[in-house]
Amino acid sequence: METAYLSGREWTERARSLREEGWRLSAYCGVDRLNLGGGEVRFEMVAQLMQPETKDLLTIHVGAEGDPPTIPSVSGIFPTVNFMEREAYDLYGIRFEGHPNLRRLLLPDEWEGHPLRKDYGVGKVPLQFLPQPFLQIDQPGQAPDAAEAGAEVDDLGQSGRAR
Amino acid sequence: MGGLEGSLGQNFITARLDKLVDWSRRSSLWPATFGLACCAIEMMATTMPRHDLSRFGMEAFRASPRQADVLIVAGRLSQKMAPVFRHIYDQMMEPKWVISMGACASTGGVFNNYALVQGVDQIVPVDIYVPGCPPRPEMLIDGIMLLHERIKNGEYRVRRTPEGVG
Amino acid sequence: MSKTFDRLVSGIDSDGHGAYVEEHDEESNSMVINMGPVHPSTHGVLRLLLELDGETVLRCEPIIGYLHTGMEKECEDQNWRGAVTIVTRMDYLAQFANEQVYSMAVEELLGIDLPPRAVAIRCMIAELNRLSSHLVWFGTTGLDMGAMSAMFYGFREREMILDFFEMVTGLRMNNGYIIPGGVWVDLPDGWDAALEAILDVMPKRLDEYEALLNENPIFLERTSGVGVLSRDDALALGATGPIARASGVDWDLRRDMPYEGYEGVTFAVPTATSGDVYGRYRVRMAEMRETLELIRHFADNMPEGDFKNMDPKLTPPPRSELNRSMEAVIHHFKLVTQGFTVPEGETYARVESPRGELGCYIVSDGGTSPYRCHVRDPSFVNLQALGPMAQGQLIADLIATIASTDPIMGGVDR
Repeated sequence: METAYLSGREWTERARSLREEGWRLSAYCGVDRLNLGGGEVRFEMVAQLMQPETKDLLTIHVGAEGDPPTIPSVSGIFPTVNFMEREAYDLYGIRFEGHPNLRRLLLPDEWEGHPLRKDYGVGKVPLQFLPQPFLQIDQPGQAPDAAEAGAEVDDLGQSGRAR
Repeated sequence: MGGLEGSLGQNFITARLDKLVDWSRRSSLWPATFGLACCAIEMMATTMPRHDLSRFGMEAFRASPRQADVLIVAGRLSQKMAPVFRHIYDQMMEPKWVISMGACASTGGVFNNYALVQGVDQIVPVDIYVPGCPPRPEMLIDGIMLLHERIKNGEYRVRRTPEGVG
Repeated sequence: MSKTFDRLVSGIDSDGHGAYVEEHDEESNSMVINMGPVHPSTHGVLRLLLELDGETVLRCEPIIGYLHTGMEKECEDQNWRGAVTIVTRMDYLAQFANEQVYSMAVEELLGIDLPPRAVAIRCMIAELNRLSSHLVWFGTTGLDMGAMSAMFYGFREREMILDFFEMVTGLRMNNGYIIPGGVWVDLPDGWDAALEAILDVMPKRLDEYEALLNENPIFLERTSGVGVLSRDDALALGATGPIARASGVDWDLRRDMPYEGYEGVTFAVPTATSGDVYGRYRVRMAEMRETLELIRHFADNMPEGDFKNMDPKLTPPPRSELNRSMEAVIHHFKLVTQGFTVPEGETYARVESPRGELGCYIVSDGGTSPYRCHVRDPSFVNLQALGPMAQGQLIADLIATIASTDPIMGGVDR
């Protein structure tokens, strides 16, 4: 499998010639290289191409330069990337110049941030244990309410249970 | 046999009205089609020949929430879908019930992240939680029968407040 | 309106854009209506924005994301083994194909070989999965066209296959059975008899289905010439699987770029040239028959031996070893608490899922969890073809068109 690293401008030209040679584009997705090191551009788009007659495979990395990261859209050359570019715009915030309909695809329109970026948290909601009256301590060092009421407190801080 | 039945013969039975209402509500619950993800396929399988939900008077799935009594939330509920879901629930007529089917609908399941609502009970009041990922059709039927039992026992005679209390 | 209509009939405008731009002319007589995301025949939570002129669809724009689960982010939070449980829930009707493509990508980065039995089990179960997935498609398509009995038949046979899945993996859906390095448990005793029962009964049942629908005048009326997708549009929009094959694109990854156990296996790839809903129906029905042959091939040639790669760095040692070997305990502890690491690199694997080309792009930074795991889902790409298919036809035919695309929203939105 061949791999090529291109800039946005080179990519449009290369895409046009690849299309004429009959290559098909299978996948086109974004990558955030924040924690990977090596290379100056943080965001890149990775295209997977395939030539159906010779069965050749080609991977193309396209660097997204600038702030916000920008790449020329290839939706005029490979119409199949229409959704894929919108997805990358949605989840990575990569702009595609010349895309006919660059709007959020998967997330609600009013969403803030781009969740697949490495500096965007997973968004875990901590597991909520419902507060039990005999375990409730508002401040560190404070005795449990039940203990104040004179109930027996065991080693684990639990009280009010028959032994 | 005394009372009314005694004087009118075998053609009448008498019952307390609230018991009769509970019984009739229980006996033909109409679910709304609210299939979201994997659980929706199991919900479809529940209505199909092997499991045959029509044994419990529930085969009439309604696409319109106005005609449905019970909302089976089958699958994961995303943040984008949540307002739509609440809208569907609000359109349903009282009395209405909600079954949260599957781990994702009940708690978020294995997906604890930015995109999913961690449990539909944050949005609507839930009556029955069915665990499993996805629950087997038998488990869904069990949940439905628990709901039937609760309706029959008259747990839902008071109209709910908009917050779901009652 | 007429300008927009001209631009959109071909689906692709002069600049080559997919042209689903939001431009509604208020002065025109056209009407914009919303369909979904809760609608009985949109197969999940698909929402369509339709511009209509009377009953004719001028424009159809799919709006997706109502089932967005953040799975690609979630994969980055799991270890390599744990991500299997996430990818299996993406396209929930083709769960084994998802697991297979993810495992193939990880194995390529690891650079390991699979024992032949693991390969045969994987391919056999993935083909059974294709059968069960097409049965759901058959049922729901029948239901959408008003043939309720198709639904009953399809799900009746699907239960048999799910029983087999349950026997092998312990679960009916979301199995998490295929893991990097093989499959996680061997086939149980008596699997061949159970499989034989399915293979015996299915051809007769397929005959039954075809007798029901193939020449049914109502079905023909509703499907032939409806939702036509030309070969050029299919190629340009990247459609794969039965949709592309019904439009005359003779392409099947199992035959043209064979992976795993498909090397050297000969089978027919059914195609059609009409590109309409009926063509897609015929292609899928013929595929089910081919799939039966493939299942029989893999079952008959099931080799003996290990069912997963027994490298101790990848697979925890058997329980019996833990009492005897300290090394085994250490390996077990490391694998359970951290999981295995995968060398740095990137790869893209592809398989033919029931809906088309399913790809998995993986980047590893050498750690114990994927750095990036992108799944190229066939329904996601095929859904773009819905616009060109729907243009110019009646809104009632749109139902048949959606059913024939067979979109699985779990895979589309991930």
